[in-house]
Amino acid sequence: MTGRRVVRAVVFAALFVYALISLYPFLWMVSGAFKSRSEILEGRFLPRDFTLDTLTQTWGRLHFFDYFLNSLKVTGLTVLGVLVVYSLASYAFAVLDFPGRRILYWFFVALLFVPGITMLLPVVILEKQLGVLGTHIGLVLPFVNGTAPLTVLLLTNAYGSIPREMREAARSDGASEARIFWSVYLPLSRPAHVTVAVLTAVPTWNEYVLTRVSISDPSRYTLPLGLESLISSEVPRYNEVMAASLIIVIPVIVLFLFLQRYFVNGLVGALKG
Amino acid sequence: MDEPSGGRSPRRWPGWLTGWAFVLPAIALFAVMGVYTIGSGLALSFAKWNGFTPTWNWVGIQNYLDLLYADPVLAPELRRAGWNTLQVMILAPLLTVAISLPLAVALNSIRRLRAVLRSVYFLPYVTTGVAIYFAWRYVLEPDGAINTLLRSLGLGTLAQPQGFLGNPDTALPTLILILVWSSVPVATLLYLSGLQAVDPNLFEAAQIDGAAPRHVLRRIIWPLLRPITAAIVLLGVRDTLHGFQIFLVMTRGGPGGHTDVLALMAYRLSFFKGLAQTLGLASALGWLLFAAAVLLTLANARMLRRVR
Repeated sequence: MTGRRVVRAVVFAALFVYALISLYPFLWMVSGAFKSRSEILEGRFLPRDFTLDTLTQTWGRLHFFDYFLNSLKVTGLTVLGVLVVYSLASYAFAVLDFPGRRILYWFFVALLFVPGITMLLPVVILEKQLGVLGTHIGLVLPFVNGTAPLTVLLLTNAYGSIPREMREAARSDGASEARIFWSVYLPLSRPAHVTVAVLTAVPTWNEYVLTRVSISDPSRYTLPLGLESLISSEVPRYNEVMAASLIIVIPVIVLFLFLQRYFVNGLVGALKG
Repeated sequence: MDEPSGGRSPRRWPGWLTGWAFVLPAIALFAVMGVYTIGSGLALSFAKWNGFTPTWNWVGIQNYLDLLYADPVLAPELRRAGWNTLQVMILAPLLTVAISLPLAVALNSIRRLRAVLRSVYFLPYVTTGVAIYFAWRYVLEPDGAINTLLRSLGLGTLAQPQGFLGNPDTALPTLILILVWSSVPVATLLYLSGLQAVDPNLFEAAQIDGAAPRHVLRRIIWPLLRPITAAIVLLGVRDTLHGFQIFLVMTRGGPGGHTDVLALMAYRLSFFKGLAQTLGLASALGWLLFAAAVLLTLANARMLRRVR
């Protein structure tokens, strides 16, 4: 019996150690955000003079409130676009019958294999020609398109799992295709839509690569660009950098805590597909 | 939401038109952002251009040849970045599996605190991005938390006076560990869902039959987890070929190219060469990466099929 107890203790110890490793950079992020500039490069974990000034200054004087709004706008529009465009398309792939359906479906899903870097340069060149480079719409369009494979996969599965009889019943009541989609399939697939929304929102919120090469006007910066502008100065003020990082990370953590099971379902579902 | 025009009078509309009306927005977006860009990118890989002159100079497959062996500067650069990519591609998924499988088994064996710990383990995945990379940079600085920790534990010899990212010998291993740190969450989650799908009766039956734990692991658990492992490795390989954000944010390929990877090289050729005619080269490298991704996926799928 004691042998089993020792095993349990070891298991718990190992689990706690890895929990600490998981949290390690967050703990320092939080501690750094509440330190003053004079203290930031001392190795102490707990701030000697706990200060809120760093956070309030980063939020206000360093324009992180503006960046926050920009990020919110880009992320919101992307999620909206993804849900509108691909719920329609996935409905067609899942239940409608039309020539080219299978080919189109596999086409969208196969895009998973095209690396982002392969598309990045032509997208930037195209947007320059169209005159949307450097605008928020210029970010939203490729972001929406970029989620196509995963979203189509998840939503087509979700719509496909709704019993066909429901559609037939609605049809015999004289409902149009649009009506069936809107009043039967959309309400029944709420969980899948939330999953798609969170799986789109989080990477969009954190997106850095395309944003970095397309946005040059600081008034259009999103949070990751604002953060980068802090660190590119000669001697980075890590207390401000950590405060800015905290501002980026907190909304994501809150979203995760409330919608945890949708993250989990989405990832497991995506892999099964 | 847009009502597709096909919906209003379904009886007069042929069915196929309704289908196409639903997929139209997706196709329109894809035609502009996908087909056109893929086509022009492919075309560009056969030309030389700096992004400013009105015309492209067609050079055939010269860009590919330059990258693979012909150019005395680019080819060695590609080889070094390729070697680094290969190391990341092999080591990161391997370590991820080595950590997340025992972690999932341990997590599956406890009841108390399981939900809390699972959330904590998942955090690195949700927050992965620029913010967390900067937090890692902060703790890895020469005077940062990790060096301080090592010194206070009496492991001062392991501390890195130039910082872990400043030393050519430790920079790439450090980045690999951070990549592992951010991919362990998903892997653990997948293993955990696999383990929970195992029928508990199976274990009991095996125990009654007197099967050794080693056999239970090899005969019952592992066959169930093998496809999950394949998926994790595939994901890791794909992320390594596609992703370079961590390399861009944390080291920009430095010090001295020791953490350069292929995607980062393509990024540099795309956006940081000023007036030099490198855009075609960047495109060519992007397509080489695409080819590698497809080949590796096919190889992986074959292996999966054989295993089954």
